[in-house]
Amino acid sequence: MRPQREYHIVVLGAGVPMRRAQFVQNVWIESYDPTIEDSYRKQIEVDGRQCILEILDTAGTEQFTAMRELYMKQGQGFLLVFSITSMSSLNELSELREQIIRIKDDENVPIVIVGNKSDLEEDRAVPRARAFGLSQKWGNAPYYETSARRRANVNEVFVDLCRQIIRKDSEGSRTSSDPNRKREGPNRHDRKRDNRRPRRRGPCVIL
Amino acid sequence: MESMKPHIPPLKISKSNSNLSESSNDAKSIPSRFYSAWGSSEMTPPLTPKDTQDTNMDQPEAPRPVFHNYLRAFYPFHPAGNVSPSTVTLPLDQGDIILVHSVHTNGWADGTLLDSGNRGWLPTNYCEAYDQLPMRPLLKALTDFWDIIRGGCGSSLKDFGNQDLMRGPIAGVRFLLEKSECLTRESPLVRRFDGLRRIRKALLSDLSSLVKTAKKFQEVANGVPSEDEVEAILDEMLLKAFKIVTRGVRFLDVWNEEVGLSRTIAEMDGPGDSIDQYSMPPTPASESFNLGENDGPARSESRMLESRMESRMESRQMSHSRMDMSRSSMRTEMVDQRPVSVATKRVSISHRMSVSGPSTAISAQNLASERLGTTYDAFLGVLGSFIGLHMQSRSSTELVVTTQQAVQSCRQLLNVVEVVCEHDTHRSVFLEQARESMCEKLSELVHAARDVFRPAHLPDDDLVFMPDEGKRLVDAATDCVRAAGNCLAKARLVLEQIGDLELDPEHFEERGKDLPGIASPQDEPETRVEQERQELSPRLPPPPLQIPTTTYSPPTPALTDSTTPSSFQSHLSNSPANITAISSTPNSAILPTHLDNISSFSSADSNYPESHPKSDVSESFGRGVTSNGSSFTYHSHTRDSEMSGVSQTSTRATSPDIGGSFQGSFTVHSLKESLSYSTLAEENEETEANILEKTFAHELIYKEGSVMGGSLRALIEKLTAHQSTPDAMFVSTFYLTFRLFATPLEFAQALAERFEYIGDTPHAAGPVRLRVYNIFKGWLESHWRHDRDNTALDFIINFANTRLMVDLPTAGKRLLDLANKVSAVGGPLVPRLISSMGKTNTSIAQYIHPDTPLPPPVLGKKEHNLLRQWKNGEASITILDFDPLELARQLTIKESRIFCSILPEELLDTEWTRKTGSLAVNVRAMSTLSTDLAHLVADSILYLEEPKKRAATIKHWVKIANKCLELNNYDSLMAIICSLNLSMISRLKKTWDIVSQKTKTALEQLRSIVDVSRNYAVLRQRLQNHVPPCLPFVGTYLTDLTFVDHGNQSLRTLSTDDSEMAVINFDKHMKTARIISELQRFQIPYRLTEVPELQAWMQNELVRVRSNGETTAQTFYRRSLVLEPREPSRSGNTLQSQSESIPSMFDNAKDKFDFLSWTNQSKAKSVTTHG
Repeated sequence: MRPQREYHIVVLGAGVPMRRAQFVQNVWIESYDPTIEDSYRKQIEVDGRQCILEILDTAGTEQFTAMRELYMKQGQGFLLVFSITSMSSLNELSELREQIIRIKDDENVPIVIVGNKSDLEEDRAVPRARAFGLSQKWGNAPYYETSARRRANVNEVFVDLCRQIIRKDSEGSRTSSDPNRKREGPNRHDRKRDNRRPRRRGPCVIL
Repeated sequence: MESMKPHIPPLKISKSNSNLSESSNDAKSIPSRFYSAWGSSEMTPPLTPKDTQDTNMDQPEAPRPVFHNYLRAFYPFHPAGNVSPSTVTLPLDQGDIILVHSVHTNGWADGTLLDSGNRGWLPTNYCEAYDQLPMRPLLKALTDFWDIIRGGCGSSLKDFGNQDLMRGPIAGVRFLLEKSECLTRESPLVRRFDGLRRIRKALLSDLSSLVKTAKKFQEVANGVPSEDEVEAILDEMLLKAFKIVTRGVRFLDVWNEEVGLSRTIAEMDGPGDSIDQYSMPPTPASESFNLGENDGPARSESRMLESRMESRMESRQMSHSRMDMSRSSMRTEMVDQRPVSVATKRVSISHRMSVSGPSTAISAQNLASERLGTTYDAFLGVLGSFIGLHMQSRSSTELVVTTQQAVQSCRQLLNVVEVVCEHDTHRSVFLEQARESMCEKLSELVHAARDVFRPAHLPDDDLVFMPDEGKRLVDAATDCVRAAGNCLAKARLVLEQIGDLELDPEHFEERGKDLPGIASPQDEPETRVEQERQELSPRLPPPPLQIPTTTYSPPTPALTDSTTPSSFQSHLSNSPANITAISSTPNSAILPTHLDNISSFSSADSNYPESHPKSDVSESFGRGVTSNGSSFTYHSHTRDSEMSGVSQTSTRATSPDIGGSFQGSFTVHSLKESLSYSTLAEENEETEANILEKTFAHELIYKEGSVMGGSLRALIEKLTAHQSTPDAMFVSTFYLTFRLFATPLEFAQALAERFEYIGDTPHAAGPVRLRVYNIFKGWLESHWRHDRDNTALDFIINFANTRLMVDLPTAGKRLLDLANKVSAVGGPLVPRLISSMGKTNTSIAQYIHPDTPLPPPVLGKKEHNLLRQWKNGEASITILDFDPLELARQLTIKESRIFCSILPEELLDTEWTRKTGSLAVNVRAMSTLSTDLAHLVADSILYLEEPKKRAATIKHWVKIANKCLELNNYDSLMAIICSLNLSMISRLKKTWDIVSQKTKTALEQLRSIVDVSRNYAVLRQRLQNHVPPCLPFVGTYLTDLTFVDHGNQSLRTLSTDDSEMAVINFDKHMKTARIISELQRFQIPYRLTEVPELQAWMQNELVRVRSNGETTAQTFYRRSLVLEPREPSRSGNTLQSQSESIPSMFDNAKDKFDFLSWTNQSKAKSVTTHG
């Protein structure tokens, strides 16, 4: 058994409620206190390995644009969240991703796109195809749709992201002498293969 | 007033009794202030107008600087470290009482915390003078006590040889009890208010403990004691005296809460009557003098005290060796006394069982045991006034009266005793002896009194009786007390053996006219008591008496009453874990008598199970809460205080405390869990009344004692409960957030409805209606939002005009006035005090004397010239031209101004994130300023061509950031550090190569403070310990508020018997209010000098960078690339492999310094684990 690892996940995306609250808590809780430790740390099992995720979500401080870099630097993996009821929330993600890549100076930063689904499908403003389009444009960044109320896919999102980070880590130690660019090949390939599952699964979940 | 000495006399406390007459006169002259607010005037002029609200409402005299011997902590004060290394600061909790030795001109006072006996410096602006009239003699006594013991240079041991020292505290306690009409256990107030009864008991037990120690001291002093031994006991006595005062204060708190409300109503109806009401019942009695009797329990109490003392003292600078001495001596004492104390305890238990039963039945009044207790209490009460007041000069006529009363009550007691004797002469031998001894003492008392009265016949000497002359009188009275106690104990014992008996009332009346004459020489009573006790123990336990159990405990023997339970209490307050141990201690014999306490545990100190049905636990539990709870109680006072005028007193009366709130929650629980409670005989009546009351309490959701949710009408009911007030947080939350779950009109209507339906419950209607009025009043006065609430104004005016006017004409008129004012005035009537929990905290600032000059700007001629030239367009200036401190100051002033103007409603419902039409202008301004500042930092660096200059600018910014930290300006600190951390800055390798290691280290430290990891753990930790002025990073509050808002639903589901209903999730709103109050805690302006020219330049700079608009970041990035173009990424770098996410181009920089490592601390950690 390997020792536990800690990973820093940053949740980004403007105007999307119920993010951290929904992600971190495994059960729908009656009373959510954002200041207690349980509210931002989460333990998950990824491929038989226990991982602790420290989740940074700065919802409410979107206007402090200068702070964003600080948050981004903190992260090893990113959840880019938009609301399926708001097209503009999807469009905002591109800018965020650009910034992440610039700051990390890495095209392959572990990213998962999350379509946050309020339970009402009829309010949907972002067609799935649109989201998948974005996903493909971003080098097949996995796309999930989650439901706060039903807690659908929430764990999967974290497992996927965590797996990406772990893979990156191990690749890093293997290919440390290689230039940055070269790592993209297998990585991209991996992800493609991997993404099939979530991509298939995400939209198919009946919520 | 005696206790208000002139300003700033450093520890000049008189050592004689010369002030006493003054103080007693004074005490009589101002009874009207008895029920008024805390303290009489401010110690120092308040920092902001906000914190005067509490005292100024019913305070006729203008605040003036006075020296108060006692302060009460208004706010908790827990300095992170010592203010300066050479001083010891005294951490305070709300409600703590401090004995002040001196007050420094800077506002710090040298004081001793009564709770712990620790001495140190404390900020007076955290405190309020504590000078409640009923407490004065007790406070005075403690001052004297302190002086004699601590300042007692040259006073010989003989000074303590007699019991003189004890009389002050005894008199003080008596005065307190007398003034609060709680002198006897049977006084209506004590009977009625359970909390009061309990704290009274505890108070007396504390007193007995002190007297006990004093006695021990006497014994020690008579021998050949070592210096240390004496010191140890003196310390112990002092701490016990402290404890008495603390307890007295709590007693008064409880009293004010439990009793005050009804008084307030009375006052409203006819203010003139109020004073009469407080006049004493003519039958004073007191338990405070049976101290000699209850050796065992008292000792166990003192043991508890001792152990507590030990733990508190350990870390303190008080002499350890002394404490050790005291400890060890206590231990040997304990061992010696143990058998006795156990025996006595058992006596008390059996007494409790046998005597506590009868009450309401008329026949019970004539039971011997009953009569015995009553007469004894009466006798002691009278003697108490003898001893207690002997030190104070008073008129001889008063003395005559007291003496007569003493004789009369003694006769009555002896009558009972005699009857008991006759009943079974066989077993009453000891009793007979005791009785005779008592008669002897009484006659001595009468003689002494007679001697004393003689001077009164001289015309000139009529009025005053000098204390010295009364010495003999007092001694005689003391002896009487002893003898009477002895007598009582014997009589009780006999009664237990022979069974209780009924007295023939007539027979009773005839007897004893000739008693005082009886006198036969006896042994020294003291020793006989000891003997007796030894003899008693083997015979125990006696057979229980056959007495039917009825509803109210009659005056149980003081012996048991005041002692045993309080030792449980001290257990409990030590650690909750002891509950189990305690619950096993009292055997079943105790249970029935303590059932009346059962409801108290629902007042939920969260340490304890909320509704534990076991009565034995509840007994101890209730007590634990009593002792622990009063700081909390006090807390709520201060917060409730924002309601002014009438509400000031009324809220006090009903603030949540143990005694008060348990009744409220009882109402609720009694509905839900009526099964478990219905068996409680003692609560029957009250429960009945509660059940009859129309209530929506079943529509509330509780969790761990606090309201989690409820329907609007149920919440309103809670808001206006008559037996308890929800805590101030509840009230404030209501005002702050009600618009989120009800329209203002709905709110007003619900209040009016409450006013209406409580009319069905006559006993509660008065207080509740008053509360409804107060809620309206507070709303109009300080929580009115014109943009939202005006829709309800007509309704309120109508309500005031009609319904309110009928029942409470005065209130109706006032409300009408207010409503009219509100409609006329644009803003709030009273300076905005939204959610007072935050605003009243405003004086938690570092104390700065108002006259202290502002720090002069660090700005020379050169800088002024530069600024002038810049203004005229003649020169351009950079931050390098100014001192970092001054820049930090000006930034701080700028930000603080915005921060302080943030209104609570801006923070509700994520108002600030609204894209259009957001009302949160100040929150927006904060984020704008923050962003501008960050951009300014970047701009100032990136537009310099030479790396050297860039490095110098970076250095300067680090210095400014450091100064911001020193000013507790975390918001600016955050912005600057963020900016220096921007990739476009951090990638400038050449620049950072030039930056000195020192600057990098400094930056690293600053960075660790604003570290975002673990949800800003470092920053949050720091803020927790800060006192304003301070500028917290607003972002954390915004994030927390966002998550509370989104993470909690606005409705909760309440399952009722047959259905489910959705109710308001009040918990969500409480959480919101708590966060807002935390932010408001810091809304205090800095005391810094503004430099307009510099501000103008800064503003100009900030606007300049803002004008770049959305593209600023990209522009900066491009600029950065121009300055130092991308290098081909290097590899083979050792660090690279460890952290992929760090862009390779930074690795060069990383080689030189671990500048970026903080971003990946955890990763670095994790990597090391696997290779």
